[in-house]
Amino acid sequence: MTKLFRYISFSCAALLLLVSCNKWLTVKPQDGLIRDDYWQTKEQLAAAVTGCYESLLNQDLVEDLFVWGEIRADMVASTLRTPDDAVNIMQDNILPSNSFTDWSPVYKTINNCNTVLEYGPDVINKDATLTDSAQNAYLAEAHAIRGLMYFYLLRTFGEVPLQVKAVSTDADVEQLEKSSKQDVYNQIITDLKFAEKYAVRSFGSNDRDKGRITKYAVFAMEADAYLWDDKYDSCVIACDSIINSGLYTLVAGKTQENWFNDLYYTGNSSEGIFELQFDAQALNPFYSMLITSSNQYIASTDHLSNDIYGLDQTGLAADIRGNNGSYVGTNGTILKYAGASAGEDYTLRTSDESYAHWIVYRYADVLLMKAEALCYLNRGQEALDLINMVRDRGQAIDLTQESEDPSATEDIAKYVLDERAREFAFEGKRWFDLLRYAKRDNYKNLSVLTEAAIINAPKNVIQTIINKYKDINSHYLPINTDELQADKKLVQNPFYGN
Amino acid sequence: MKKVFKQRVLFAVIALSFISGIWLSCRKVPIVYSTSTDVNIVGYIDEHLDSFSLFRQMLSVTGYDGFLSAYGSYTLFLPTNSAVQSYLKSRSKDSISQLNVDSVKDFLKFHLINDTVYTISFTDGKLPYLTMYGQYLVTGASNSNGSTYYRVNRQANIIESNLREGNGVIHVIDNVLTPATKTLAGLVSADPDYSIFAEALKATGLYDSLNIAAVDNADSTKAWLTLFAQTDSVFNANGINSYEDLKEKYSNTGNPKDPYDSLHLFVDYHIVNRANYLADIVTVTSYSTWAPLQALTVKYSNDSILLNDDVFNGVHEPGILIPRTGSDVSATNGVLHKTTSLLSIKQRSPFPVYWDVCQYTEIMNLPAYYGKQSYYYPWDQLPSFITAADGKSSRPQIGYVGGASGSSPVVNYDYLELPMGSNRMDWVELKTPMLVAGTYKVWICWRTAGKSQILQVSIDSTVMQRTYNKSIYLPSGTDAVLEAQGWKHYTTSTSSNVPAYLVGTINIQTTGQHTIRFTALSGGDNYNWLDMIQFIPSDMDQQWPRFDQDGIAHYSASE
Repeated sequence: MTKLFRYISFSCAALLLLVSCNKWLTVKPQDGLIRDDYWQTKEQLAAAVTGCYESLLNQDLVEDLFVWGEIRADMVASTLRTPDDAVNIMQDNILPSNSFTDWSPVYKTINNCNTVLEYGPDVINKDATLTDSAQNAYLAEAHAIRGLMYFYLLRTFGEVPLQVKAVSTDADVEQLEKSSKQDVYNQIITDLKFAEKYAVRSFGSNDRDKGRITKYAVFAMEADAYLWDDKYDSCVIACDSIINSGLYTLVAGKTQENWFNDLYYTGNSSEGIFELQFDAQALNPFYSMLITSSNQYIASTDHLSNDIYGLDQTGLAADIRGNNGSYVGTNGTILKYAGASAGEDYTLRTSDESYAHWIVYRYADVLLMKAEALCYLNRGQEALDLINMVRDRGQAIDLTQESEDPSATEDIAKYVLDERAREFAFEGKRWFDLLRYAKRDNYKNLSVLTEAAIINAPKNVIQTIINKYKDINSHYLPINTDELQADKKLVQNPFYGN
Repeated sequence: MKKVFKQRVLFAVIALSFISGIWLSCRKVPIVYSTSTDVNIVGYIDEHLDSFSLFRQMLSVTGYDGFLSAYGSYTLFLPTNSAVQSYLKSRSKDSISQLNVDSVKDFLKFHLINDTVYTISFTDGKLPYLTMYGQYLVTGASNSNGSTYYRVNRQANIIESNLREGNGVIHVIDNVLTPATKTLAGLVSADPDYSIFAEALKATGLYDSLNIAAVDNADSTKAWLTLFAQTDSVFNANGINSYEDLKEKYSNTGNPKDPYDSLHLFVDYHIVNRANYLADIVTVTSYSTWAPLQALTVKYSNDSILLNDDVFNGVHEPGILIPRTGSDVSATNGVLHKTTSLLSIKQRSPFPVYWDVCQYTEIMNLPAYYGKQSYYYPWDQLPSFITAADGKSSRPQIGYVGGASGSSPVVNYDYLELPMGSNRMDWVELKTPMLVAGTYKVWICWRTAGKSQILQVSIDSTVMQRTYNKSIYLPSGTDAVLEAQGWKHYTTSTSSNVPAYLVGTINIQTTGQHTIRFTALSGGDNYNWLDMIQFIPSDMDQQWPRFDQDGIAHYSASE
């Protein structure tokens, strides 16, 4: 009897232990997933890829893209509320402590992509419903985003550390050395080549086709990258892949109001190739930067009206991309991101409406990239035709018309540069366009870059800026002090050491 | 017994080791005495003696290491050993100890600023603070073999910048800095290219005024000066081959020492107070010179600096270029610039200025607005020629009103709306076009509107004799009767909506741009519609020309 009782009580106790074990011996978090439990299904892979896109909507990232792409150039001016660090960039007083040299938002996205690329390929072993092509399509998106991010870093910093492995714990953090510009460029091309091979042509809906990376978005990135490296043949081929698809057309430019509404206010137009999809739940940073009365950046209105869009004194002809299109001539508001509608009776977006898409690539960009490449391939007439196509849509005025001589390569190249300024004002491309144009043929056109840089600079530092720009290393930003302290293998970019 | 002994030994050993344990561990407790481990400037130098040992010796010799290792905020331009060595070599010395201690002190003072200056505040000109030695340092950037460095005083490159230490900032330089040793007068007389000008300086007695080092000058307003010197080749090109020629051409009394002699004035016209480097010059529009009431105007265009490049009465007078090479030469009392043509006082007779206040570039660059529609300015974006008393955002804004016609036959179809008085601007200032020194009658021309409001006009803070009421229409009467009362038509229309009113006569003393201020003496109203301001020399016809709506001047009724 006692024996039986002992057995019963013992087994009860054992049972109790077993049950409770579950609770107190487990080390897995109760309120989340760990990596070993993730990467099991294709849905999880899809969610991780979506996470890469989500990280592109980081406000800091888009602010960086705007600052890096615009403010060192000629089209954006400061206000009384511009951050000191931004003013210092505008005046080319750039120290490694400048907060806009912080590249962490970009590397955050790169790490998201790295994570997908490291653990994603294993999902196919766990989830039998995931096909090879579906898996590769997901990986292609991550490759493309990573390539795009490194392309921004390459153009902004020159030499950067190449991190292509996922970092998920502190133990994974590596001390990396900088890679050469060529190595970074090769990585970009490798990523884009993979993406080009496996990316899908369509996701089945217009919004997803513009908001996610299709094969055509990859072609656009490739075209841009090839152009950066002066590989004109490859650039033309990439552009043609987009143009010949017939999927994209220029938004009509009959009225400034409709053009603005379709292309910028509504977004995801027939022209869009890849746009960052801000919406009411994910606002862009532009409300405080550009829209409020305490805005930080305004258009350099005199320069834009005199030198970029041209001034028709009768007031009858006007470039729709100019006054009251891209910007407001009277107060300099940068309308592309600030406007709810354009034209003389323009209206501004409210704080909860500040979700203008950040357009990474659109069809006009492809046309002008192709024109740029063509003119160096001595196909001047084709280049001029493309330029005129964009000009006609924008109702460019005769005053801004340049060389019509198809054999004048240098003139057409400058024409493309000027037309890109009109077409992509404030879209984060101007500085990179100027730098690409200036650095070609061993910095033959350096003066164009310098002239743009001094337009909004105070007169008493212009001589200093001119001399600084003669040092081509000054065209790239320094590595942030914090990064140098965290990663002892990093060496400060040349020019910023002294 | 034995056991007890063993126990005691054991006890002693344990106690000893325990005590020694305490003793040993006690010594290890770290006590932090300082709030920071940052070193001061001297500390940094001590840590890098392999590069800066010679400079460290200089500090020890002079005792300056005392204050540089204490609390403060300094900027040190720190020369490397090789820089100091070449300095020693240039003075044929082998070691620091052979140098005179006072000269080492001066040397150090010239490398020190009693404030922190980072490269961010460097310009093309002088630094905002004097060195401890009492001379300005100039900065810039220089490029050699594709590498760009900040250059200090045109003598040294900064090879490591913005090193933040506990009590200041260090910039490491590859060459020593040596202060200027000559005064402006000394510079001019030492340079054979300036021989005629130097003689003129001596003959006028101005040589002595320009020969006082800034630190020794009792008159602080004239301690630092800017001299635009005239080279012999410029004189030669103007047919002046010697000082005698110059005296013959300019001196009207024959005694250049007389301050009213025109040769004296000619030289005075080349001297400006304060040390203005080119980077300072480009940021201003005019300077008053030592010649009484004679100003120099400055224009910066296409990267060149021009003096007296002005449009007078519609005629462009090409300016005098200041070349960058040969200018910005530091002296102990200022800075010397070169000029490429003859800088002389121009005799001008006053000419009338019919100023349409709406002809400013900010609005004319907007063809959609200019002459066509209205635009009201946010308070922080006023056109550059307007200054308002205060810009409370709630107050009615200053507006450009374009496209006016019909009952408003205003010139060029536009006027400025300047809301003034209670709950509005107390005053507003406009910068006039260029006015030649002389006596002018000042006519205010407006579109009558709104409530009664008395406005006072002052020019360069001289209050004009008469006030006006902007709500009053032009009285009736013949032109002569009206003019006798201080009224006139300024447009070709006969409408009484557009009166012109004589607010008084002003003697403009200096040629240049001036400031006209409107002050509200009563009321408070938005409808203060200003169309034109006319400055007409008092001996000229005040009635004509009149302007039509297209802005065309008509010189008689039949025209």
